[in-house]
Amino acid sequence: MSSIMDERVSDEIEALEAILMDDVTIKRVGDVPHIIETVLHPSTGNDVDRQYVCATLVVKLTPGYPDSSPEVTLRNPRGLDDEILANIHMQIREKLADCRGEPVVFELIELIRDCLTESNLPSGQCMICLFGFTKGDEFIRTQCYHYFHSHCLAAHLISGRRYYQEELELLPNWQQVTRAPFKEICPVCRITLTTIEVETLADAPPPVASFTAAPFFLTDEMKELQKKMAKLLAYQMSKGGVIGCGDSGPPPLTITTPEDNENNENSNGSPGASNEGAKASSGIINGRQNGNSSNDNSCPGSPAARPAYRGPYRGFNRRGKPGRRGRGAAR
Amino acid sequence: MAALPRRIIKETQRLMQEPVPGISAVPSETNARYFHVIVTGPEDSPFEGGLFKLELFLPEDYPMSAPKVRFITKIYHPNIDRLGRICLDILKDKWSPALQIRTVLLSIQALLSAPNPDDPLANDVAELWKVNESEAIRNAKEWTRRYAMDN
Repeated sequence: MSSIMDERVSDEIEALEAILMDDVTIKRVGDVPHIIETVLHPSTGNDVDRQYVCATLVVKLTPGYPDSSPEVTLRNPRGLDDEILANIHMQIREKLADCRGEPVVFELIELIRDCLTESNLPSGQCMICLFGFTKGDEFIRTQCYHYFHSHCLAAHLISGRRYYQEELELLPNWQQVTRAPFKEICPVCRITLTTIEVETLADAPPPVASFTAAPFFLTDEMKELQKKMAKLLAYQMSKGGVIGCGDSGPPPLTITTPEDNENNENSNGSPGASNEGAKASSGIINGRQNGNSSNDNSCPGSPAARPAYRGPYRGFNRRGKPGRRGRGAAR
Repeated sequence: MAALPRRIIKETQRLMQEPVPGISAVPSETNARYFHVIVTGPEDSPFEGGLFKLELFLPEDYPMSAPKVRFITKIYHPNIDRLGRICLDILKDKWSPALQIRTVLLSIQALLSAPNPDDPLANDVAELWKVNESEAIRNAKEWTRRYAMDN
Protein backbone atom coordinates (compact mmCIF):
# COMPACT_ATOMS: atom_id res chain seq x y z
CA MET A 1 0.00 0.00 0.00
CA SER A 2 1.40 3.34 -0.90
CA SER A 3 1.65 6.05 1.70
CA ILE A 4 0.61 8.63 -0.87
CA MET A 5 -3.05 9.42 -0.42
CA ASP A 6 -5.33 8.08 -3.05
CA GLU A 7 -6.63 11.00 -5.10
CA ARG A 8 -10.17 9.66 -4.87
CA VAL A 9 -9.96 9.86 -1.09
CA SER A 10 -8.42 13.32 -0.92
CA ASP A 11 -11.08 14.64 -3.31
CA GLU A 12 -13.83 13.14 -1.19
CA ILE A 13 -12.45 14.59 2.05
CA GLU A 14 -12.09 18.00 0.44
CA ALA A 15 -15.68 17.90 -0.79
CA LEU A 16 -16.99 16.77 2.61
CA GLU A 17 -15.24 19.62 4.39
CA ALA A 18 -16.43 22.12 1.82
CA ILE A 19 -20.07 21.05 1.96
CA LEU A 20 -20.61 19.98 5.57
CA MET A 21 -18.13 22.45 7.03
CA ASP A 22 -18.42 22.38 10.84
CA ASP A 23 -20.83 19.45 10.74
CA VAL A 24 -18.10 17.00 9.82
CA THR A 25 -15.08 15.96 11.85
CA ILE A 26 -12.08 14.39 10.12
CA LYS A 27 -9.66 12.63 12.41
CA ARG A 28 -6.25 12.14 10.89
CA VAL A 29 -3.27 9.99 11.67
CA GLY A 30 -0.40 12.16 10.57
CA ASP A 31 -1.64 13.62 7.31
CA VAL A 32 -3.79 10.66 6.46
CA PRO A 33 -7.55 10.91 7.10
CA HIS A 34 -8.56 8.07 9.37
CA ILE A 35 -12.05 8.61 10.75
CA ILE A 36 -14.93 10.70 9.38
CA GLU A 37 -17.72 11.64 11.79
CA THR A 38 -20.93 13.53 11.17
CA VAL A 39 -24.24 13.92 13.00
CA LEU A 40 -27.19 13.23 10.74
CA HIS A 41 -30.76 14.49 11.06
CA PRO A 42 -33.88 13.85 9.01
CA SER A 43 -34.48 16.23 6.12
CA THR A 44 -37.05 18.70 7.37
CA GLY A 45 -35.86 21.78 5.57
CA ASN A 46 -34.85 24.32 8.16
CA ASP A 47 -37.53 23.18 10.59
CA VAL A 48 -35.29 21.97 13.40
CA ASP A 49 -38.32 21.59 15.70
CA ARG A 50 -39.56 18.74 13.57
CA GLN A 51 -36.42 16.64 13.84
CA TYR A 52 -37.24 13.91 16.32
CA VAL A 53 -34.44 11.46 15.58
CA CYS A 54 -30.73 11.60 14.84
CA ALA A 55 -27.59 9.46 14.68
CA THR A 56 -23.86 9.98 14.31
CA LEU A 57 -22.26 8.34 11.29
CA VAL A 58 -18.72 7.13 11.92
CA VAL A 59 -16.68 5.99 8.89
CA LYS A 60 -13.30 4.46 9.63
CA LEU A 61 -11.22 4.37 6.47
CA THR A 62 -9.37 1.15 5.86
CA PRO A 63 -5.89 1.23 4.30
CA GLY A 64 -7.21 -0.06 0.97
CA TYR A 65 -10.18 2.38 0.81
CA PRO A 66 -11.91 2.94 -1.55
CA ASP A 67 -10.96 -0.40 -3.14
CA SER A 68 -11.91 -2.06 0.14
CA SER A 69 -14.97 -1.06 2.16
CA PRO A 70 -14.56 1.25 5.17
CA GLU A 71 -15.82 0.29 8.64
CA VAL A 72 -19.14 2.04 9.21
CA THR A 73 -20.90 2.44 12.57
CA LEU A 74 -23.80 4.52 13.87
CA ARG A 75 -23.19 6.15 17.24
CA ASN A 76 -25.67 7.82 19.62
CA PRO A 77 -28.85 6.95 17.79
CA ARG A 78 -31.75 8.99 19.23
CA GLY A 79 -35.41 8.13 18.92
CA LEU A 80 -34.64 5.01 16.87
CA ASP A 81 -35.59 1.56 18.07
CA ASP A 82 -33.59 -1.61 17.44
CA GLU A 83 -35.69 -2.67 14.51
CA ILE A 84 -35.15 0.59 12.65
CA LEU A 85 -31.43 0.52 13.43
CA ALA A 86 -31.06 -3.05 12.18
CA ASN A 87 -32.78 -2.02 8.97
CA ILE A 88 -30.44 0.95 8.48
CA HIS A 89 -27.39 -1.27 9.11
CA MET A 90 -28.59 -3.73 6.52
CA GLN A 91 -28.98 -0.98 3.93
CA ILE A 92 -25.49 0.30 4.79
CA ARG A 93 -23.99 -3.12 4.12
CA GLU A 94 -25.72 -3.33 0.76
CA LYS A 95 -24.55 0.14 -0.18
CA LEU A 96 -20.93 -0.70 0.78
CA ALA A 97 -21.01 -3.83 -1.35
CA ASP A 98 -22.43 -1.90 -4.31
CA CYS A 99 -19.92 0.91 -4.12
CA ARG A 100 -16.67 -0.93 -3.61
CA GLY A 101 -13.95 0.80 -5.55
CA GLU A 102 -15.44 4.27 -5.34
CA PRO A 103 -15.83 6.85 -2.57
CA VAL A 104 -18.94 6.04 -0.56
CA VAL A 105 -19.27 8.57 2.27
CA PHE A 106 -21.68 10.91 0.46
CA GLU A 107 -23.75 7.95 -0.59
CA LEU A 108 -23.90 6.78 3.02
CA ILE A 109 -24.90 10.19 4.30
CA GLU A 110 -27.72 10.38 1.80
CA LEU A 111 -28.88 6.85 2.57
CA ILE A 112 -28.97 7.35 6.33
CA ARG A 113 -30.61 10.74 6.04
CA ASP A 114 -33.37 9.16 3.96
CA CYS A 115 -33.81 6.44 6.58
CA LEU A 116 -34.02 9.03 9.36
CA THR A 117 -36.53 11.09 7.42
CA GLU A 118 -38.68 8.01 7.00
CA SER A 119 -38.45 7.16 10.72
CA ASN A 120 -38.80 10.73 11.91
CA LEU A 121 -41.20 9.97 14.78
CA PRO A 122 -40.64 10.45 18.50
CA SER A 123 -40.13 7.32 20.55
CA GLY A 124 -42.28 6.67 23.58
CA GLN A 125 -46.02 7.13 23.72
CA CYS A 126 -48.62 9.84 23.73
CA MET A 127 -49.54 10.24 27.38
CA ILE A 128 -53.15 10.94 26.47
CA CYS A 129 -54.04 7.81 24.50
CA LEU A 130 -51.02 5.68 25.57
CA PHE A 131 -50.31 4.71 21.94
CA GLY A 132 -46.96 5.14 20.29
CA PHE A 133 -46.37 7.34 17.27
CA THR A 134 -46.52 5.51 13.99
CA LYS A 135 -46.29 6.42 10.37
CA GLY A 136 -49.28 8.46 9.31
CA ASP A 137 -49.85 9.96 12.75
CA GLU A 138 -50.09 13.70 13.13
CA PHE A 139 -48.48 14.83 16.33
CA ILE A 140 -47.15 17.90 18.05
CA ARG A 141 -44.25 18.77 20.29
CA THR A 142 -45.24 21.29 22.93
CA GLN A 143 -43.01 24.11 24.09
CA CYS A 144 -42.22 21.91 27.11
CA TYR A 145 -40.95 19.09 24.81
CA HIS A 146 -43.85 16.72 25.38
CA TYR A 147 -45.24 14.84 22.42
CA PHE A 148 -48.93 14.19 21.81
CA HIS A 149 -51.01 13.14 18.87
CA SER A 150 -52.56 16.35 17.58
CA HIS A 151 -55.95 14.66 17.80
CA CYS A 152 -55.45 13.75 21.47
CA LEU A 153 -54.17 17.13 22.56
CA ALA A 154 -57.05 18.83 20.77
CA ALA A 155 -59.55 16.61 22.59
CA HIS A 156 -57.91 17.48 25.90
CA LEU A 157 -57.92 21.23 25.25
CA ILE A 158 -61.48 21.28 23.95
CA SER A 159 -62.90 19.33 26.88
CA GLY A 160 -60.76 21.35 29.29
CA ARG A 161 -62.40 24.52 28.02
CA ARG A 162 -65.85 22.95 28.19
CA TYR A 163 -65.39 21.88 31.83
CA TYR A 164 -64.07 25.31 32.71
CA GLN A 165 -67.15 26.88 31.13
CA GLU A 166 -69.52 24.51 32.91
CA GLU A 167 -67.89 25.23 36.27
CA LEU A 168 -67.99 28.94 35.58
CA GLU A 169 -71.70 28.92 34.89
CA LEU A 170 -72.35 27.31 38.26
CA LEU A 171 -70.68 30.18 40.08
CA PRO A 172 -72.53 33.28 41.25
CA ASN A 173 -71.98 36.31 39.04
CA TRP A 174 -69.56 38.11 41.29
CA GLN A 175 -67.29 35.07 41.37
CA GLN A 176 -67.52 34.58 37.62
CA VAL A 177 -65.99 38.01 37.14
CA THR A 178 -63.04 37.37 39.38
CA ARG A 179 -62.32 33.82 38.19
CA ALA A 180 -58.96 33.31 36.49
CA PRO A 181 -59.40 32.95 32.73
CA PHE A 182 -59.18 29.53 31.10
CA LYS A 183 -55.67 28.29 30.47
CA GLU A 184 -54.56 25.63 28.07
CA ILE A 185 -52.41 23.28 30.10
CA CYS A 186 -49.94 20.57 29.18
CA PRO A 187 -51.40 17.29 30.50
CA VAL A 188 -47.98 16.09 31.63
CA CYS A 189 -46.33 19.08 33.31
CA ARG A 190 -49.27 21.52 33.64
CA ILE A 191 -47.32 24.36 32.06
CA THR A 192 -49.56 26.90 30.31
CA LEU A 193 -49.44 26.26 26.60
CA THR A 194 -49.20 29.45 24.61
CA THR A 195 -48.34 28.32 21.12
CA ILE A 196 -51.13 25.86 20.38
CA GLU A 197 -53.88 26.37 17.85
CA VAL A 198 -56.66 24.05 18.86
CA GLU A 199 -58.62 24.52 15.63
CA THR A 200 -55.72 23.25 13.52
CA LEU A 201 -55.04 20.33 15.84
CA ALA A 202 -58.67 19.27 15.89
CA ASP A 203 -58.56 18.51 12.17
CA ALA A 204 -55.95 15.81 12.69
CA PRO A 205 -57.03 12.17 12.40
CA PRO A 206 -57.08 9.89 15.46
CA PRO A 207 -53.88 7.92 16.16
CA VAL A 208 -53.34 5.11 13.69
CA ALA A 209 -52.85 2.49 16.41
CA SER A 210 -56.33 3.14 17.80
CA PHE A 211 -57.84 1.43 14.77
CA THR A 212 -56.02 -1.82 15.27
CA ALA A 213 -57.22 -2.37 18.82
CA ALA A 214 -57.39 -5.93 20.04
CA PRO A 215 -60.82 -6.73 21.49
CA PHE A 216 -61.13 -6.77 25.23
CA PHE A 217 -61.62 -9.99 27.13
CA LEU A 218 -61.33 -11.06 30.73
CA THR A 219 -58.37 -13.31 31.39
CA ASP A 220 -58.49 -16.16 33.88
CA GLU A 221 -56.21 -14.12 36.09
CA MET A 222 -58.75 -11.29 36.14
CA LYS A 223 -61.57 -13.68 36.94
CA GLU A 224 -59.51 -15.07 39.81
CA LEU A 225 -58.98 -11.56 41.15
CA GLN A 226 -62.68 -10.80 40.82
CA LYS A 227 -63.47 -13.84 42.95
CA LYS A 228 -60.93 -12.81 45.57
CA MET A 229 -62.43 -9.34 45.76
CA ALA A 230 -65.99 -10.64 45.96
CA LYS A 231 -64.93 -12.83 48.87
CA LEU A 232 -63.34 -9.91 50.68
CA LEU A 233 -66.42 -7.80 50.10
CA ALA A 234 -68.71 -10.51 51.45
CA TYR A 235 -66.54 -10.86 54.54
CA GLN A 236 -66.37 -7.13 55.20
CA MET A 237 -70.10 -6.89 54.62
CA SER A 238 -70.68 -9.53 57.28
CA LYS A 239 -68.67 -7.38 59.66
CA GLY A 240 -70.79 -4.30 58.89
CA GLY A 241 -67.79 -2.73 57.23
CA VAL A 242 -69.40 -1.86 53.93
CA ILE A 243 -70.90 1.57 53.41
CA GLY A 244 -74.65 1.41 52.92
CA CYS A 245 -74.89 -2.34 53.49
CA GLY A 246 -75.84 -4.01 56.76
CA ASP A 247 -75.32 -0.80 58.66
CA SER A 248 -75.64 -2.49 62.02
CA GLY A 249 -72.25 -1.29 63.16
CA PRO A 250 -71.95 1.80 65.30
CA PRO A 251 -72.14 5.14 63.54
CA PRO A 252 -69.05 7.34 63.74
CA LEU A 253 -67.87 8.35 67.20
CA THR A 254 -70.72 6.72 69.04
CA ILE A 255 -69.22 3.65 70.62
CA THR A 256 -70.60 4.73 73.95
CA THR A 257 -72.21 1.89 75.81
CA PRO A 258 -70.67 -1.09 77.58
CA GLU A 259 -72.79 -3.27 75.31
CA ASP A 260 -70.87 -1.97 72.31
CA ASN A 261 -67.69 -2.82 74.04
CA GLU A 262 -68.89 -6.31 74.81
CA ASN A 263 -69.99 -6.94 71.25
CA ASN A 264 -66.68 -5.70 70.12
CA GLU A 265 -64.79 -8.03 72.41
CA ASN A 266 -66.87 -10.98 71.29
CA SER A 267 -66.40 -10.31 67.64
CA ASN A 268 -62.75 -9.97 68.40
CA GLY A 269 -62.75 -13.59 69.44
CA SER A 270 -60.81 -13.01 72.65
CA PRO A 271 -61.50 -16.14 74.69
CA GLY A 272 -63.48 -15.40 77.83
CA ALA A 273 -63.13 -11.70 77.47
CA SER A 274 -65.93 -10.61 79.67
CA ASN A 275 -66.58 -6.96 79.89
CA GLU A 276 -65.26 -6.92 83.42
CA GLY A 277 -62.14 -8.80 82.55
CA ALA A 278 -61.35 -6.46 79.71
CA LYS A 279 -61.75 -3.50 81.97
CA ALA A 280 -59.55 -5.01 84.60
CA SER A 281 -56.70 -5.84 82.29
CA SER A 282 -56.86 -2.52 80.52
CA GLY A 283 -56.76 -0.85 83.89
CA ILE A 284 -53.45 -2.51 84.67
CA ILE A 285 -51.99 -1.49 81.36
CA ASN A 286 -53.19 2.04 81.77
CA GLY A 287 -51.64 2.15 85.20
CA ARG A 288 -48.32 1.21 83.69
CA GLN A 289 -48.51 3.44 80.68
CA ASN A 290 -50.00 6.56 82.07
CA GLY A 291 -47.64 6.89 84.94
CA ASN A 292 -47.50 10.59 84.46
CA SER A 293 -51.20 10.95 84.94
CA SER A 294 -53.40 10.01 87.82
CA ASN A 295 -56.51 10.52 85.74
CA ASP A 296 -57.67 7.56 83.70
CA ASN A 297 -59.60 9.84 81.42
CA SER A 298 -56.67 12.09 80.75
CA CYS A 299 -57.36 12.13 77.02
CA PRO A 300 -59.92 14.69 76.00
CA GLY A 301 -63.01 13.52 74.23
CA SER A 302 -66.26 11.99 75.22
CA PRO A 303 -65.74 10.61 78.73
CA ALA A 304 -68.36 7.96 78.14
CA ALA A 305 -66.41 6.68 75.19
CA ARG A 306 -63.25 6.09 77.13
CA PRO A 307 -64.08 2.85 78.91
CA ALA A 308 -65.61 1.43 75.77
CA TYR A 309 -62.48 2.11 73.78
CA ARG A 310 -60.03 0.82 76.28
CA GLY A 311 -60.40 -2.85 75.62
CA PRO A 312 -59.84 -2.89 71.88
CA TYR A 313 -57.00 -0.43 72.10
CA ARG A 314 -54.85 -2.39 74.47
CA GLY A 315 -52.61 -3.36 71.62
CA PHE A 316 -51.79 0.21 70.76
CA ASN A 317 -51.20 1.19 74.35
CA ARG A 318 -48.81 -1.65 74.74
CA ARG A 319 -46.61 -0.24 72.04
CA GLY A 320 -45.97 2.57 74.45
CA LYS A 321 -47.15 5.20 72.06
CA PRO A 322 -50.41 6.43 73.44
CA GLY A 323 -49.91 9.85 71.89
CA ARG A 324 -49.45 10.95 68.34
CA ARG A 325 -48.47 8.39 65.81
CA GLY A 326 -47.98 8.90 62.15
CA ARG A 327 -48.58 12.44 61.06
CA GLY A 328 -47.30 14.93 63.56
CA ALA A 329 -45.93 12.27 65.87
CA ALA A 330 -42.94 13.16 67.98
CA ARG A 331 -40.06 11.04 66.74
CA MET B 1 -72.20 1.75 23.90
CA ALA B 2 -69.24 2.67 21.76
CA ALA B 3 -66.34 0.25 21.56
CA LEU B 4 -64.05 0.31 24.54
CA PRO B 5 -61.21 2.74 23.85
CA ARG B 6 -57.90 0.99 23.41
CA ARG B 7 -56.40 3.09 26.17
CA ILE B 8 -58.74 1.46 28.70
CA ILE B 9 -57.81 -2.00 27.43
CA LYS B 10 -54.14 -1.11 27.67
CA GLU B 11 -54.48 0.18 31.21
CA THR B 12 -56.45 -2.89 32.26
CA GLN B 13 -53.81 -5.24 30.90
CA ARG B 14 -50.97 -3.29 32.44
CA LEU B 15 -52.66 -3.32 35.83
CA MET B 16 -52.55 -7.11 35.67
CA GLN B 17 -49.09 -7.48 34.13
CA GLU B 18 -47.27 -4.83 36.13
CA PRO B 19 -49.34 -4.47 39.27
CA VAL B 20 -48.72 -1.59 41.64
CA PRO B 21 -47.68 -2.84 45.09
CA GLY B 22 -50.57 -2.59 47.50
CA ILE B 23 -53.13 -1.94 44.80
CA SER B 24 -55.20 -4.31 42.74
CA ALA B 25 -57.87 -3.39 40.23
CA VAL B 26 -59.91 -5.56 37.92
CA PRO B 27 -62.81 -4.73 35.63
CA SER B 28 -66.22 -6.14 36.38
CA GLU B 29 -67.60 -9.15 34.55
CA THR B 30 -70.37 -7.12 32.97
CA ASN B 31 -68.89 -3.67 32.45
CA ALA B 32 -65.30 -3.07 31.39
CA ARG B 33 -65.53 0.53 32.61
CA TYR B 34 -66.38 -0.50 36.15
CA PHE B 35 -63.42 -1.63 38.26
CA HIS B 36 -63.26 -3.49 41.53
CA VAL B 37 -60.35 -2.13 43.53
CA ILE B 38 -58.50 -3.06 46.68
CA VAL B 39 -56.07 -0.61 48.25
CA THR B 40 -54.01 -1.79 51.21
CA GLY B 41 -53.55 0.64 54.08
CA PRO B 42 -50.07 2.19 53.91
CA GLU B 43 -47.45 1.21 56.47
CA ASP B 44 -47.04 3.56 59.42
CA SER B 45 -50.50 4.96 58.88
CA PRO B 46 -53.57 4.29 61.05
CA PHE B 47 -54.87 2.27 58.10
CA GLU B 48 -51.96 -0.18 58.11
CA GLY B 49 -53.12 -3.76 57.82
CA GLY B 50 -56.46 -2.80 56.29
CA LEU B 51 -57.74 -3.91 52.91
CA PHE B 52 -60.00 -1.21 51.54
CA LYS B 53 -62.43 -2.03 48.79
CA LEU B 54 -63.20 0.76 46.34
CA GLU B 55 -65.18 1.08 43.17
CA LEU B 56 -63.91 2.99 40.18
CA PHE B 57 -65.86 3.97 37.10
CA LEU B 58 -64.47 5.38 33.87
CA PRO B 59 -66.98 7.83 32.39
CA GLU B 60 -67.81 7.94 28.70
CA ASP B 61 -65.26 10.67 27.93
CA TYR B 62 -62.43 9.17 29.98
CA PRO B 63 -59.53 10.08 29.87
CA MET B 64 -60.77 13.59 29.13
CA SER B 65 -62.62 13.55 32.43
CA ALA B 66 -61.62 11.95 35.72
CA PRO B 67 -62.62 8.47 36.87
CA LYS B 68 -65.30 8.33 39.54
CA VAL B 69 -63.91 6.63 42.63
CA ARG B 70 -65.53 5.79 45.96
CA PHE B 71 -64.63 3.79 49.04
CA ILE B 72 -66.88 0.82 49.69
CA THR B 73 -65.19 -0.27 52.90
CA LYS B 74 -65.89 2.09 55.79
CA ILE B 75 -62.94 4.28 56.60
CA TYR B 76 -62.30 6.93 59.24
CA HIS B 77 -60.54 9.69 57.36
CA PRO B 78 -61.03 13.49 57.24
CA ASN B 79 -61.06 13.58 53.43
CA ILE B 80 -63.44 10.68 52.91
CA ASP B 81 -67.07 11.10 53.86
CA ARG B 82 -69.61 8.62 55.19
CA LEU B 83 -70.67 7.69 51.69
CA GLY B 84 -67.09 6.87 50.77
CA ARG B 85 -66.64 9.92 48.57
CA ILE B 86 -63.10 11.19 48.33
CA CYS B 87 -61.87 14.77 48.46
CA LEU B 88 -58.88 14.78 46.15
CA ASP B 89 -58.02 17.52 43.69
CA ILE B 90 -56.92 15.25 40.85
CA LEU B 91 -60.39 13.69 40.85
CA LYS B 92 -61.84 17.14 40.20
CA ASP B 93 -60.33 20.30 38.77
CA LYS B 94 -56.75 19.00 38.75
CA TRP B 95 -57.54 16.00 36.59
CA SER B 96 -55.23 15.50 33.63
CA PRO B 97 -55.54 12.90 30.87
CA ALA B 98 -51.89 12.01 31.53
CA LEU B 99 -53.06 10.47 34.81
CA GLN B 100 -54.17 6.86 34.80
CA ILE B 101 -56.11 4.41 36.92
CA ARG B 102 -52.89 3.39 38.61
CA THR B 103 -51.79 6.95 39.39
CA VAL B 104 -55.23 7.82 40.76
CA LEU B 105 -55.17 4.82 43.07
CA LEU B 106 -51.63 5.63 44.17
CA SER B 107 -52.76 9.15 45.03
CA ILE B 108 -55.62 7.77 47.08
CA GLN B 109 -53.19 5.50 48.90
CA ALA B 110 -50.98 8.53 49.55
CA LEU B 111 -54.01 10.37 50.94
CA LEU B 112 -54.33 7.60 53.52
CA SER B 113 -50.74 8.27 54.59
CA ALA B 114 -51.24 12.02 54.72
CA PRO B 115 -54.75 13.02 55.79
CA ASN B 116 -55.49 16.70 55.29
CA PRO B 117 -58.01 17.88 57.90
CA ASP B 118 -57.77 21.46 56.61
CA ASP B 119 -59.59 20.44 53.44
CA PRO B 120 -62.25 18.24 54.97
CA LEU B 121 -65.03 16.25 53.46
CA ALA B 122 -66.07 14.47 56.64
CA ASN B 123 -66.44 17.44 58.97
CA ASP B 124 -66.75 15.63 62.30
CA VAL B 125 -63.73 13.48 61.53
CA ALA B 126 -61.68 16.46 60.39
CA GLU B 127 -62.67 18.41 63.48
CA LEU B 128 -61.46 15.67 65.80
CA TRP B 129 -58.34 15.23 63.69
CA LYS B 130 -57.54 18.87 64.35
CA VAL B 131 -58.43 19.17 68.04
CA ASN B 132 -57.31 15.74 69.18
CA GLU B 133 -55.23 13.99 66.58
CA SER B 134 -54.26 11.07 68.78
CA GLU B 135 -57.87 10.17 69.41
CA ALA B 136 -58.71 10.56 65.74
CA ILE B 137 -55.87 8.24 64.86
CA ARG B 138 -57.09 5.74 67.41
CA ASN B 139 -60.51 5.88 65.83
CA ALA B 140 -59.02 5.35 62.39
CA LYS B 141 -57.10 2.33 63.65
CA GLU B 142 -60.18 0.93 65.31
CA TRP B 143 -62.24 1.34 62.15
CA THR B 144 -59.49 -0.30 60.14
CA ARG B 145 -59.34 -3.25 62.52
CA ARG B 146 -63.10 -3.53 62.71
CA TYR B 147 -64.11 -3.05 59.11
CA ALA B 148 -61.18 -3.42 56.75
CA MET B 149 -59.82 -6.83 57.64
CA ASP B 150 -59.74 -9.94 55.53
CA ASN B 151 -61.06 -13.22 56.81
